[in-house]
Amino acid sequence: MKLRKILSVSALSSMMALSVSAVSAFECKVKEASMAKPGGFPDRALTMIVPYGPAGGSGQIAAAMAEAVTELTGVSINRDHKSGGSGTVGMTAYMAAPTDGYTVLEHIDDASSAHALDSSKPHPGRDLIPLVTAQVTFSQIYIRSNETRYSDWPSFVKWVKAQDGKATIANVSKEGSMERVTMKFITDASNMSIQQISFDKGAPRYGALLGGQVDALYEQPGDVRKFLDSGDFKPILTIFNERPGVFANVPTHKEMGMDFEPLLRFRGFYVHKDAPADRVEWLKWAFQRGYCQDSYQKFNESKFMTVIDSYRDTEGSIELINATIPQYRAVYKQMGLDVK
Amino acid sequence: MIENFIAGSSALFGDPFTLAIFFFGVIGGMLFGAIPGVSMLTLAAILLPFTSDLSPAQGVMLFAVIYCTGTYGGAITAILFNIPGAPENAPTAFDGYPMTKQGKSGKAVGAAVLCSAIGGVASALVMMAATQPLATWAIRNIGPPEIFALVFFGLAVASSVGGRTIWKGWLSVLLGLLIATIGQDPVGGINRFNFGFADLAAGIAFVPAILGFFAVSEIFVQAEKRATGTFNAPKVGMSFPTLFELWAQKIAVLRSILVGFFCGILPGIGATLAAFMGYGEAVRWSKDKESFGKGNIEGVISSETANNAATGAAMIPLLALGLPGGALTAMMVAVFQMHDLEPGPLVFYNSPDLIWVVFAAMFYANLSILFVGVLETKTILYLLKIPFQFLAPLILLLASIGAYIGRGLVLDVMVMFLAGIIGFLLRRSGYSIPGIVLGIILGKIGEQNFAQGMQMVHYDIVAYFSRPICSLLILAGVLTLGVGVYQALRAPAKKA
Repeated sequence: MKLRKILSVSALSSMMALSVSAVSAFECKVKEASMAKPGGFPDRALTMIVPYGPAGGSGQIAAAMAEAVTELTGVSINRDHKSGGSGTVGMTAYMAAPTDGYTVLEHIDDASSAHALDSSKPHPGRDLIPLVTAQVTFSQIYIRSNETRYSDWPSFVKWVKAQDGKATIANVSKEGSMERVTMKFITDASNMSIQQISFDKGAPRYGALLGGQVDALYEQPGDVRKFLDSGDFKPILTIFNERPGVFANVPTHKEMGMDFEPLLRFRGFYVHKDAPADRVEWLKWAFQRGYCQDSYQKFNESKFMTVIDSYRDTEGSIELINATIPQYRAVYKQMGLDVK
Repeated sequence: MIENFIAGSSALFGDPFTLAIFFFGVIGGMLFGAIPGVSMLTLAAILLPFTSDLSPAQGVMLFAVIYCTGTYGGAITAILFNIPGAPENAPTAFDGYPMTKQGKSGKAVGAAVLCSAIGGVASALVMMAATQPLATWAIRNIGPPEIFALVFFGLAVASSVGGRTIWKGWLSVLLGLLIATIGQDPVGGINRFNFGFADLAAGIAFVPAILGFFAVSEIFVQAEKRATGTFNAPKVGMSFPTLFELWAQKIAVLRSILVGFFCGILPGIGATLAAFMGYGEAVRWSKDKESFGKGNIEGVISSETANNAATGAAMIPLLALGLPGGALTAMMVAVFQMHDLEPGPLVFYNSPDLIWVVFAAMFYANLSILFVGVLETKTILYLLKIPFQFLAPLILLLASIGAYIGRGLVLDVMVMFLAGIIGFLLRRSGYSIPGIVLGIILGKIGEQNFAQGMQMVHYDIVAYFSRPICSLLILAGVLTLGVGVYQALRAPAKKA
């Protein structure tokens, strides 16, 4: 079965189209500027479990959202980084934590892909309640700006094909990761073979492209913004259904003849489904309104996270998760992975 | 350069608030580095939100200063109590703690103070002179195959450290390498040896393993000695090394500066590899290899010079390219970003004032290790006078907190005690604790880079030898292993 047939998920596609048009002017979707604390909750600091280190993308968004919520509500949030195992250590710790609403979780789309591969893992839209999805972004393929062997996507594909599988691209290509799945889409659709080099940390990954150790890089624009601003990297392909304004001269994968639905990187905040309902409502308000705080918006702006609409409320987050899981599951089966 | 350095110094010393932040960073880094259970990373994480109220130069400078003095601070507990403050201080304990047991704690701490300062100052000077060209050279010429070869080269010499025989030394290193494979593999993310425990998917964390193998096993050894009536309390040695003793180590210092600096400029590697490589090279070039692990001052000197030499070097990829070398430099990126700045090539053009304040502060922070460190040491050495029955539970308590605090997992405390028991039993049988720890730390780095390198050369290992630096390091490692085997085989024959 062709991948493109598996991946024709129109719901996700239309959601993203709406998202692009929605970012032109930021308008806070949560109108209530304050909300009474239900039964005095919270009367002490919240704990936020972060399944990744403090310096990475998750650590930074956790810090920014914690600051915004504290500004808004006066409630402190202690961040507890439990990194390792592609987020499984943090998720396991969170599921074992008390379900009184005092402990919240930051997680990324890895939680959805982990459930897609193994349904015994928590479903982030059913076993957890999404409070807000605060970052949604797309991926791009980058080359060095001073590269002379190729200069755009068509010339890159032509060059890669001539290397007979010896061209290299840096990414986080762990088994079943969003990066590896998307690269499979791209290589199948382009009929080319490229060696993926997996770097789990950003610095060596970006250094590998800067220093010419690899030929290209798969990444999200916010993570390499400084290299784009400095002119060291340039994007040659946007993996999204339409051209975002700031990358108006970069073709999308669809324009280059690749008919698959892009997988998105998304980061958000969750609470356990067994938390008391009134507390969940207050947490939803605090985190969704926290998204609107100036400090958080400034943070997202600095991370290129306003290029497309990064905001999803609880229902929007569940819709995004529910669209993503079957997409991963279908591809995993196609890749021959042991889907449980 | 000199004009810029003077301008940076003037900005640092000309503003009382900036100067106060500088001294706060110097003292805070040393204290958090020296107190078991916390580290410079703990202090940095606490301070991170507050840096938004400082100017960009003050915020980045504060973290840079903490990095310099915190790297040194962990040496004190490594030497006095066999508790390395951080993985980069672990090799310092190899010989530093045996020196304490021999009543030479003052000499060991004195050497650590002086050599940390020398390594750091030398590194800061090179950083000021050649940040941009060095960063560019490093990322163009050093990739995963070269880093793997460097680790292989370092491991090749590890077998001769601390084991009763070279064979037991190698078995110790292999055990460390085996432990390093627990958890998800660094490239494919496949679970290995986690026996269904999700927490083990992240592997064995360095800090609990180090605390267990060093501190806890040592407590057990000392407790056994007390039970059998052979316990001798360590003597408090206040005599610092003489100038003559230090001058005799000038080659070791110079070599460790070069090794530490080289490791420091590699993105994502940092001071830990530097300390281990510095120590390994000291063993390799020594005529008295068997004295290492038993209280050779050159071991302390090499480790401490190299890890502080890595601090200035780690700033090179961070500032010139925006590539952090470790956890603390990664936090510095967050400090930059809080002020709408990004470390990288443009920062030299957009914020030269900030850069030179940071450079000047790192230079003076390393220099201040010498003065503040001596004063601090004179006080802290008296901790050794605490009777064992009070000190041992205190160390176990602090070590347990230290093991737990990193990830907040009880598993890490269990790992620490298990490592303590294993370490205790293996030490009785003549196996090498430094070898095991070296295997754990370098194993993770080495495996990751080997796998990445294999992907880069399309699984054709012969291609490793088409890269000059890589092939040179591998050949040197093979040669070292060959010489080790030859010497081990000849040793019994000689005795006969």
